[in-house]
Amino acid sequence: MRVILETKPRRKPKIPIEAEAITPQNFLIKNDIRVYEGNKERKLDEIFYVTTEGPAVSADQVEIVLSGETGVIKRVGEYMNAGRIVIEGDIGMHCGNFMSAGEIIIRGNADAWLGREMRGGVIRCEGNADHYCGAGYRGEKRGMRGGTIEVMGNAGDYTAEYLSGGEVRIMGDCGDLPGVEMRAGTLIIGGDCYRPCGNMTGGTCMVFGTAGAMLPTFISTGAEVREFCSKRMEMNVFRGDVANRGKGTLLVRKQ
Amino acid sequence: MKVEDVVCPFCGCLCDDLVVEVEGARVVSVENGCTLANEKFLGDHRLKAPIRKTDRAWEQVSYDEAIDETVGILLDADRPLLYGWSGTHGEAQSVGVHLGEILGALIDNTSTVCHGPSIMAIQEVGHPGCTLGQVKNRADVVVYWGTNPIDAHPRHMSRYTTFADGFFLSDAFRERKVIVVDVRRTESAQVADEFVKIDAGGDYAVLAALRAIVRGKRSLIPTSVSGVSREQLFRMADTLLGAKFVAIFFGLGLTMSQGKYKNIRNAIELTAELNRHTKCTISPMRGHWNVYGSNEVFTWISGYPYAVDFSRGIAFYNPGETTSIDVLRRGECDACLVVASDPGAHFPKACAEHLARIPTVQIDPHVNATTHLARLQIPVAVTGIDAEGTAYRMDGVPIRTRKLFCGTYPSDTDVLTKIYDRVKEEKKHG
Amino acid sequence: MAELLVKNAFVIDPLSGIRGEIMDIAIRDGKIVEDAGANAEVIDAQGCLTLPGGIDSHTHVCGTKVNFGRYMSPEDMRAGRTQRKGVMHVTSGYSVPTTFGNSYRYSTMGYTTLLEGAMAPLEARHTHEEFTATPHQDMLANTLFDGNWSIMEAVRDKDLKRAAAVVAWTLAAVKGFAIKLTNPGGTEAWGFGEDVHSIHDLVPHFGVTPAEIIETMIRANEILNLPHSVHLHCNNLGVPGNFRTTLETIDRVPDLNSRRQTLYLTHVQFHAYGGSTWKDISSKSEDIARAVNSRPQVAIDMGQVMFGRTTTMTADGPMEFKLYMLHHNKWSNHDVELETGSGIIPVFYSRKSLVNCVMWAIGLELALLTRDPWQCMLSTDNPNGAPFVKYPEIIALLMSRRFRDRESELLDPRTGHYVPLFAIERELDWYEIAVMTRAAQAKALGITGIGKGHLAPGAQADIAIYPLKPGELDPAAEYKQVMAGFGKTRFTIKRGRVVARDGEVVVEGANSTIWTKANIPPELDLSADREFVKKFEQYYTVRMSNYPVQDVYLPRGVCIGTEVSL
Repeated sequence: MRVILETKPRRKPKIPIEAEAITPQNFLIKNDIRVYEGNKERKLDEIFYVTTEGPAVSADQVEIVLSGETGVIKRVGEYMNAGRIVIEGDIGMHCGNFMSAGEIIIRGNADAWLGREMRGGVIRCEGNADHYCGAGYRGEKRGMRGGTIEVMGNAGDYTAEYLSGGEVRIMGDCGDLPGVEMRAGTLIIGGDCYRPCGNMTGGTCMVFGTAGAMLPTFISTGAEVREFCSKRMEMNVFRGDVANRGKGTLLVRKQ
Repeated sequence: MKVEDVVCPFCGCLCDDLVVEVEGARVVSVENGCTLANEKFLGDHRLKAPIRKTDRAWEQVSYDEAIDETVGILLDADRPLLYGWSGTHGEAQSVGVHLGEILGALIDNTSTVCHGPSIMAIQEVGHPGCTLGQVKNRADVVVYWGTNPIDAHPRHMSRYTTFADGFFLSDAFRERKVIVVDVRRTESAQVADEFVKIDAGGDYAVLAALRAIVRGKRSLIPTSVSGVSREQLFRMADTLLGAKFVAIFFGLGLTMSQGKYKNIRNAIELTAELNRHTKCTISPMRGHWNVYGSNEVFTWISGYPYAVDFSRGIAFYNPGETTSIDVLRRGECDACLVVASDPGAHFPKACAEHLARIPTVQIDPHVNATTHLARLQIPVAVTGIDAEGTAYRMDGVPIRTRKLFCGTYPSDTDVLTKIYDRVKEEKKHG
Repeated sequence: MAELLVKNAFVIDPLSGIRGEIMDIAIRDGKIVEDAGANAEVIDAQGCLTLPGGIDSHTHVCGTKVNFGRYMSPEDMRAGRTQRKGVMHVTSGYSVPTTFGNSYRYSTMGYTTLLEGAMAPLEARHTHEEFTATPHQDMLANTLFDGNWSIMEAVRDKDLKRAAAVVAWTLAAVKGFAIKLTNPGGTEAWGFGEDVHSIHDLVPHFGVTPAEIIETMIRANEILNLPHSVHLHCNNLGVPGNFRTTLETIDRVPDLNSRRQTLYLTHVQFHAYGGSTWKDISSKSEDIARAVNSRPQVAIDMGQVMFGRTTTMTADGPMEFKLYMLHHNKWSNHDVELETGSGIIPVFYSRKSLVNCVMWAIGLELALLTRDPWQCMLSTDNPNGAPFVKYPEIIALLMSRRFRDRESELLDPRTGHYVPLFAIERELDWYEIAVMTRAAQAKALGITGIGKGHLAPGAQADIAIYPLKPGELDPAAEYKQVMAGFGKTRFTIKRGRVVARDGEVVVEGANSTIWTKANIPPELDLSADREFVKKFEQYYTVRMSNYPVQDVYLPRGVCIGTEVSL
């Protein structure tokens, strides 16, 4: 089944749409999908031109395609457990929250909290991701636990905050404190970043660009060779964050 | 008429020992207050009546008209924002939260541009703190980090710390050691026993280094961290470890420099670590006299201390998404009610521009920067002068502000209750 | 005015000696009366279990540290959110619900009166504000005196009258209800990061011992004729081997009151540990119960732990720090000048932890081994042991051996080695449960006189009608039904109005706060005592005239006046 959702023009286009109901499993079972525009409930076809093609007997046979003014549509794919979502452009906050399986492809940029508290599945963003990519929720001890997020462009601040499993791969640069509070899982940064892995207690982070303002509380433990985009690079290896009881591993490309 | 033990409604110190002289409906003198208090009580120039902006000018309208128009604006909106709250009493804040609830609005207070990051850090690692009297009576080491009390909380040092004698310190000024950490030598640094100058944005690294030192990892500290020499770091750590009671106070130097809530988190984790060796507490220097009150009221009603979004019928909280600066900057919100604060003076330009673009109503006794962004302003009594109600001091202690005389203005609670009742009526029939 | 007639109620009213009779209950103007008029609205209870409204004698629902627990835990808030509905406000929170959340959930369970476990006098105003926002239960405040400087000085000077004067002045000033002592002496020591480790340790600087503080306060309490006894959270909470401290404390309690206990020990499960380290911690519930059984002057509540996550919050600052060092969770602390302390930390009680399994067993053992249900009340020290919404599950466990056996299979297999629970056959009956969840509380708190806890004419019309038919239901077998039944009333009636029906609250509330005022003779009035006033202004950071809680905070306050016996 292929569901094509194209945004209709709106009177107040800057008010975000909360669309946690847009998941493959919902299109399989529900007829009447509702989204929210501010404090007003809207039917799906008030916000989108909806076209459905073909049948499906399970959620993994459902593909949803979103296009138009998608940059303000939030919570798409929340709790998704199968199937595919393709966004032909930018996507709003909280895309793929709690996702446990399936695939989300974003052709443009992703707003904040991409893949928050993800459990499994794959998210691929061809543009840039904003702050808190692959992060957790405030107050919880564990954030993203599984799955893979790949961002072809840059990411914002606090990428993979509270990472507890899975892999987050940013091909470009990150902002401030990527991998902060991380405890397990893998964070890969292809470009530059600033103050990586503050308060890290476990897991592995690899920076293939430069790490600006490295924190003083990481202990140098040697050197290793790692591969990135088919290139072998020499990396300095650190253990930390020693301000904490940190047993994480931070590798930074030798300059 | 002389009134004693008056509560000052200006800063988070919430001094309650002022003595004021009242003549009719005016305060004519203030004793014991700082310059901020004097200005608050004596320089009180009120807007006389509700005003509405027309094409050419401001016109006076009645309270009923103003309230009706406000109700209309709020009901028409799809994503209204109720902002401010820190400059009024708790009972009014309470009505505000319930108003946000029935409207399905966003409600936010001034924490959002001030100690919001402190709250976010507390939500990650907790808050090991105490009331100010514990500091006054016990602390032998006081640290002011990224805050300049002489300027922003003028009586803090004399009422609660540096110069305040306490039960266990009878000669506080001599027995107490004060450390000031800042990016420049402020007035507070001038009266400190030790000044630690930090490179801008370097607080996180310095706090990490201090934590490592307290955990016994001196050997890995480099010769300097963010402009602070290793010697000074060791000296500072030793002072903290050797103290009987360390009281750390911090302000916007930490909340609004790079890293924001992560800076606070690091400071709190340092405090928690120090508690394994000695007594240590940490406290935010809250700005507005009742911003903590708005946090308390928001929390016991909605579960969250600021940036609450009721648009889905439940309470949702996510700083960065539901915070005022963000919803204004993105042009999301389509109406705004400002109560007891002055976003026009404090918010970034893009946000102020948006406030001017959408229907904005302000409930405030005085003409201020926000007036020029609003289309309607409703003057009310000043809490602590001609209205009374509960306030929460920066350490959480609740004190009731006094009503010094009966004025002619309605209070925030009066106006908000009318708005609430009318909205409720409309929603029942609409 | 408003008349209501509840027909066909299967009533258990222990204070009136009714052990299960079908009867009608007539209500007029918020009180129970002999007969109702012809115009009365009729509710047919259809033979369902009808009890006086539930009374919780120890719960943390309102005040500074509770609100701390809320705003530091957005993850707890999001775990329990409900929508606005009818008159019901939005609620949030799982283990530390918002005030409306607490009120609705308690009302759904049939509770109409709550005693807030701890209120620091300096911050009483905050507690009272939250009381008003918990609108469907009448509220009472346990007022903290454990680290009170004036009290410790009076104890040091062996000046019993002065201690009584301090209590009287403070309770009246902050509109508190009863004397609460939490780790007496320990909270003051924590002001400089220390603690006390036995009831005979000297509190630094003040030179008094916890035993002396407790003894003086007990006597002061009886001089003031306060309705409730001293309410004590013993020293050494949570420490392996602490049962000795508890027994020592119990041993010293005199019998000074014929109407109720002379000392109420709270959440005793946390104080009933044998062993000496976390590795060999065991249950000493048998020893504790034996002591309680032979002393009618002592009453306790369980402090039951239930598995799952929750938030601990007490005035026992040093104990909470110990939990931080053990679990490294986010930790908050809030010491209150001249008065007391507090700490908050989230915890997770796990079936995979032997220690937690032992704790779970001890609470149940205390209830089953205490012979007289009037002496052991149901509680979880909400939310420290578990959120109060778990009370129905606890009731079901106490009424069913089978349920306990089923649960034991899920525990760490070594548990039986450390606890006697699985050998205990006793199953509590409906009457005993009714006693443990309301009648005993009313008696212990001394509020039967104002019409609480019973259904005789003249009583407040606070009634809970549960969808359970004792005659047709075997609680030992149908424990799931018992659990569901106590979890949601068919009707909760408060002061003669139906406030909750099948899980939904249907009216706006207007509760009362109950406080005490001892009629102290003028020579003991501290507000006229120059020394007291001078020290107050010197060491507190608020002015004495701004300290008392103004009348406006108790819109429908109920003051219980007492005569002082000097």
